[in-house]
Amino acid sequence: MEDRAIQLQLGIGAMVLSLFLLFVAIPSWVSSPSNVPNIILSPLFWPNVLAGVAGIVGAGMVLTAYWRPKPAWTEPPDVPSRPAAFARLAGVAAIMAGTMYLLPVLGMVWTAMLVFALLAFLVRTRHPIAALVCAVVVPLILYGFFAHVAGVAIPQGNYVRLP
Amino acid sequence: MSFADSLMAGLEIVGNIQSFLALFAGVAIGTVAGAIPGMSATMAVALTLPFTFSMTPITGILLLLGVYKGGIFGGSIPAILIKTPGTPASSATVLDGYPMAQQGRAGKALGMALWASCTADLISNLSLILFAGWLASFALSFGPPEFFTLILFSLTIIAGVSGDSLLRGALSAVAGLLLATVGLDLIYGTNRFTFGSPNMMGGLNFIAVLIGLFAIPEIIGMVWNPQVSADETRSLGKNWVTFAEYKKCFRSIVRGSFIGVFLGSIPGIGAAPSAFLSYSEARRKSPNKENFGKGEIEGVAASEAGNNGVAGATLIPLLALGVPGDVITAIILGAFMVHGLQPGPMMFIMNTNIIYGLFIGLIVSSVFLFLIGSVAIRGFKYVADIPRGVLFPGVMVLCIFGVFAVNNNIFDVGVMFAMGWLGFFMMRFRIPTAPFLIAFILGPLLEDNFRQAMLMSGSSPVILFRGPITWFFWSITLVTVIAIVRAGIRATTKETPPLPPTNQE
Repeated sequence: MEDRAIQLQLGIGAMVLSLFLLFVAIPSWVSSPSNVPNIILSPLFWPNVLAGVAGIVGAGMVLTAYWRPKPAWTEPPDVPSRPAAFARLAGVAAIMAGTMYLLPVLGMVWTAMLVFALLAFLVRTRHPIAALVCAVVVPLILYGFFAHVAGVAIPQGNYVRLP
Repeated sequence: MSFADSLMAGLEIVGNIQSFLALFAGVAIGTVAGAIPGMSATMAVALTLPFTFSMTPITGILLLLGVYKGGIFGGSIPAILIKTPGTPASSATVLDGYPMAQQGRAGKALGMALWASCTADLISNLSLILFAGWLASFALSFGPPEFFTLILFSLTIIAGVSGDSLLRGALSAVAGLLLATVGLDLIYGTNRFTFGSPNMMGGLNFIAVLIGLFAIPEIIGMVWNPQVSADETRSLGKNWVTFAEYKKCFRSIVRGSFIGVFLGSIPGIGAAPSAFLSYSEARRKSPNKENFGKGEIEGVAASEAGNNGVAGATLIPLLALGVPGDVITAIILGAFMVHGLQPGPMMFIMNTNIIYGLFIGLIVSSVFLFLIGSVAIRGFKYVADIPRGVLFPGVMVLCIFGVFAVNNNIFDVGVMFAMGWLGFFMMRFRIPTAPFLIAFILGPLLEDNFRQAMLMSGSSPVILFRGPITWFFWSITLVTVIAIVRAGIRATTKETPPLPPTNQE
């Protein structure tokens, strides 16, 4: 994407964020006791200041977007196929969502094995056998270190429990 | 406590096999990670952090410092061999290192990089030992108003890590400061952006934010475009650096080391500008200035001395004032906090043994760097051969285990994923992530000291100008801001349209 377009979008985004914080988020999700002697000491003060600064920075970005020179050439696409790239992004998002769901159910080791294998498959590794071996070995080694050396209670899940 | 007593106290806690093993392992891990393009020294330090939880504070921090030192040197290996700096700090090394490799003198370039790195590292560590204690004793007279003005000044370091656009750096910093407000208010105990979740009442976990911001976006980026070309490797050649060549470059190495020490001790400048300044000074003073950029060994020596001279000096503001000098020291500051230590002037009184233990460890790290670096130069081919399709899934699994281990909390893994997407968005929109992290760390300190100062004065802002120290910090903050704004305006108005890349290389 063109750099000045990015600058403009970010500037507008920052101003919208600022307004959202000032009029929706801070009044709704930041609470303050009624007996605060001075606004400067209020829990609301700092978030409001930051929201204001975000708005000023956003305005600055919008202004400077117009000063930026137009590029003399069009940037080539960074990926051969954008729909395929977005599909892969959806895939990694699904893996992350699945991880959050499976961690308490399957346990960390088995979930990590699945995550490793799926991610290697998603990036189309040229070494599938090595990836599969690592998918099994790496989580087991990490489990050994964290559970038995560091003493961390790694989630074991409801099915197969490791020693 | 006398210097000898402090030294003995330091030796007492660091003089054991675990500490030296951790330091050795850290330098080795850092060198390998720095040598892998795509893995930065920052990412290596972040990923190593969870492994330190079960260690004693000194052992854990020595491990991280080893990774830091090794990572900065390791970045020079791919910079010279395949023109891909492993870390931004190694960008200047490419200028002469890669032409030397093309001429079949890669071994000589790498050897000089190692000698220059170790010399600069030693000078930087000695500077830390000399100056940190002095600065800390001065900082003992600081109260909340002085700390507020100091941290405000430290936030100007964001300009140094903002890359091309200062405003994007500022936006990133504001986002970091906003995220730091999540949790219970420290004075009144009321909720701020917790959405009723008990997991958010203590604020977002620093390690989850850090790993999410620096490691996960690389993985998502790999998924976005997996067509990464296989890294080419290059033979080292038969030529190795001689002592006569080292002697010839010694003046540039020492000059570069002191440039690194000076710039490293100022928060926010970082190793890359130091390397370029050292390189340009060496070129200006050299009788072979026309050879610079075409494979001049003095160019490699100067750039490596410049970037490694920063490594010890960035710890001066960290240990003496509790202010991180760059992103890696910000992570190391987090490591201190995880281990229940708060760097700053009081640490020189309360934990003298740890301070001096670190000093001893840092001096030893220069020796380890030399030993491991010599082996790494020869073994790089095998390091670069790790397929990314196996490396990055492994990094993801390591992140999951590491982040969970901080608080034994699955919620933190979710925070890490969310921050990973934020980091990827920032990467796509060319917003620097370093200001976000620095602001996230400094934000609570800034707010707490400001509110404490206001409580002390009954809400009168006059307390923020109460003495020469506050006036000093206000003045340098103002001067820095004016300089940054002027430079930003000049860069924006004089900017020429970017040209398309050429295939002349």
